[in-house]
Amino acid sequence: MSQAVQPLLELRQVRLDGRGLPRLAAVSLALHPGERVALLGPSGAGKSSLLAVANGLLAPSSGQVLWQGEPPARSRRARRRQQARIGTLWQDLRLIEELTVQQNLNAGRLAVWGWPRALLNLLMPLDTAANAAALAKVDLPPELLHQPVAALSGGQRQRVAIARLLRQEPSLLLADEPLASLDPRLAGALLALLLAEVTPQRAMLLSLHRPDLLAGFDRVIGLRAGRIVVDAPAAALRGAAGESLLAELYQGSEAPGVHPGGLGALREGGEAR
Amino acid sequence: MSGAFGFEPAVKPGVPAPAGPIGAGPRRPAMPWPAAPLQMLLPALVLLPLLAWLPFTAHGGGLDLLGRFALAAFTPSLDPLVVRSALAGLATTVGMALLGWVASLVLGVSLGVASSRTLWRTCCGRVWPGGWIRRLLAVPRAVHELLWGLLLLQLVGLQPVVAVVAIALPFGALVARVVADLLDGLDTGRLEALRLAGAPAPAALFTALGPPLLPGLLSYGGYRLECALRSATLLGVFGLGGLGTDLRLTLQSLEFHELWTGLWLLLAVMLALEAGLGWLRRRWLMPRRLALSQAGVGVRGREMVLALVALLPLGFGVGRALGVDPRGLLTWQPLQGVGGSGWWDGDRLLALPWPSLIGGTLALTLLAAALAVGLPPLQLLVSAPWPPLRRLVQLSWAFARLWPPPLTALLLLLLLQPGLLTAALALGLHNAGILGRLLAEALADGSSARHGALVSAGVGPRLALLYGRYPAVARPYLAYGAYRADVLLRDTVVVGLVGATGLGSQLLESLSSFAWDQLLALVAVYVLLTLLGEELSDRVRRQLLRCG
Repeated sequence: MSQAVQPLLELRQVRLDGRGLPRLAAVSLALHPGERVALLGPSGAGKSSLLAVANGLLAPSSGQVLWQGEPPARSRRARRRQQARIGTLWQDLRLIEELTVQQNLNAGRLAVWGWPRALLNLLMPLDTAANAAALAKVDLPPELLHQPVAALSGGQRQRVAIARLLRQEPSLLLADEPLASLDPRLAGALLALLLAEVTPQRAMLLSLHRPDLLAGFDRVIGLRAGRIVVDAPAAALRGAAGESLLAELYQGSEAPGVHPGGLGALREGGEAR
Repeated sequence: MSGAFGFEPAVKPGVPAPAGPIGAGPRRPAMPWPAAPLQMLLPALVLLPLLAWLPFTAHGGGLDLLGRFALAAFTPSLDPLVVRSALAGLATTVGMALLGWVASLVLGVSLGVASSRTLWRTCCGRVWPGGWIRRLLAVPRAVHELLWGLLLLQLVGLQPVVAVVAIALPFGALVARVVADLLDGLDTGRLEALRLAGAPAPAALFTALGPPLLPGLLSYGGYRLECALRSATLLGVFGLGGLGTDLRLTLQSLEFHELWTGLWLLLAVMLALEAGLGWLRRRWLMPRRLALSQAGVGVRGREMVLALVALLPLGFGVGRALGVDPRGLLTWQPLQGVGGSGWWDGDRLLALPWPSLIGGTLALTLLAAALAVGLPPLQLLVSAPWPPLRRLVQLSWAFARLWPPPLTALLLLLLLQPGLLTAALALGLHNAGILGRLLAEALADGSSARHGALVSAGVGPRLALLYGRYPAVARPYLAYGAYRADVLLRDTVVVGLVGATGLGSQLLESLSSFAWDQLLALVAVYVLLTLLGEELSDRVRRQLLRCG
């Protein structure tokens, strides 16, 4: 992890005001290419807020957000180019139920496609080879391409959402509790798929409610009451020392568990500004 | 996604239908079939031939007049005399609308209950009387309120009660149909439980079906009040009193400043009415999202019943103020020519160019419907990146639905020659204003999650709207459009005065030449067409709401 490389995401002294206490206070972190970072913390610690600031959904009250060393662009067009490099996996997936799997996968390309292709996508199958490849990466057969999303099972939808993320070709992957409400076996399989997509040019920040799934991560960030209290290599959280670190992180709160709202609930569909 | 389209009759508010069997094999479409959001835009293709046709029908003679009309919007006449007359006209129009609406509700609810199959089954054990009442009601429903108004005008002369009855009859029949559909669509489990427990039929009906019927009735009833205001204005345009008459006279005498005084007042009343009804709808019908207040349930119910009961004295008060006297309906004037020799002339009837009259009416309906359905989604899409432009589009919709189509037609005549295109534009733009508002409401009610996800991934505002919000509203919107097309068929009569546009213009011509035989035949054909159109649009609508 060389410091000379431009970080894909950098937060500098970010503060996000909430009602009463700040939701985030003095949060600084940098995400470098190739890093797989897990975000841990008790409910209400500010994980979703941090991800919302990281993907541009919320603007910080003070402090700076930098994507590849650049602050949020002023012009709408440049800003959209920045957003196109940030891929978010939403807890509620946000697939377009009324369209086919192929049309949904192509929706990942909309940021770079112009009008003609966007309209054509609603009329006929486009980019079948690329879409089939994306499906193959998430272990789905290409026959699913013509199915409407509404006809898929829960596990298939999760995979289609990941495949759409891959079609977007983002350099920064963000995910807010993507494994909540999944059974353990499926959660493990999907996490493996996601981790495998972190190439040396990409970085991933993933919030997690289960410390038992940290195996594939390089680094762990622990959040408590809007502040970063742990920032350590994942190896440091193994063994007895790790146990005590985690105990401290979750101290006084219920055991790591159900998450109330998630990123989507923070600012329901607000436009990125 | 029932939302704003929830009040459409006959088909229950659309729950997104489950798509195909789960795990069904790969389904490859045999031919390119546009996906849901694109289907919404397809009707807008009608713009291409329309725009291509426009230069050939334009004469451009009244361009400066149209400019003067537009400029006068900023300088309405504030002369106290003009304002006072506009206010008086507005009061008459609003009063007629209110009274006609109350009467239509009373009529509609009683007839609707009387034509409900559930009711007949519970009370008498047989269903057919309900079915027959329902079939008979199709006739008053199929005759446009303008026709009722003009026919009554011939029969009893000009008096305030004419407009009220003209609104009450067709609206009452429409409300009856919706009430009967709502009643028969309700789950009868509770009713049977009460009956088995020994409750007498009327009490059981009222207890089991009353409360679940109320929300649907209120939602639809509120929408009918908006329609009644539009209809009262329209009837005025044809000389039945109120602001509509002033609007037409000022337009025809080119007094644009005075015209705008009335228009702005009407706009204010209409927007206030829509906002008020929307507020009531949200207050009474939306499930409370944040606080689950138990106390609210009974209170809302009491408020609704009180509001309904308060309508009757309100109706009487307004009636007295307007000088509406139902007894005036009893003294008929002799119809000129009727009863004389040769008033019925079969040869003259057959001499009418029926195929072209019917063809013209159908073409007008289809053109106007395509314009009305296709324009709003396109306008929203184009204006998506610029909020001020979007607000301008919405303001233009407000004007379009407030401004009666025959007056739009008169304005268009300043630029275009009379004919099918002019009539279709006038009718289509008016209905686009109605559909546009519903579309905007449905979009606002819908979830913004997918839109937000697309914007976060750097998708532009237009494509985010097309992919993020249109898919969920596409089918309910198109289904509502199908219903609107059948309303449009009835409405073609109101643009008849632009000429050469099928049954409507022939009808107005026969009316002014007192050719009663032609008039009767034309109304009969209109009724027949309307009933066929209703059947057809019902089928299209069911198809749209069923397949996912």
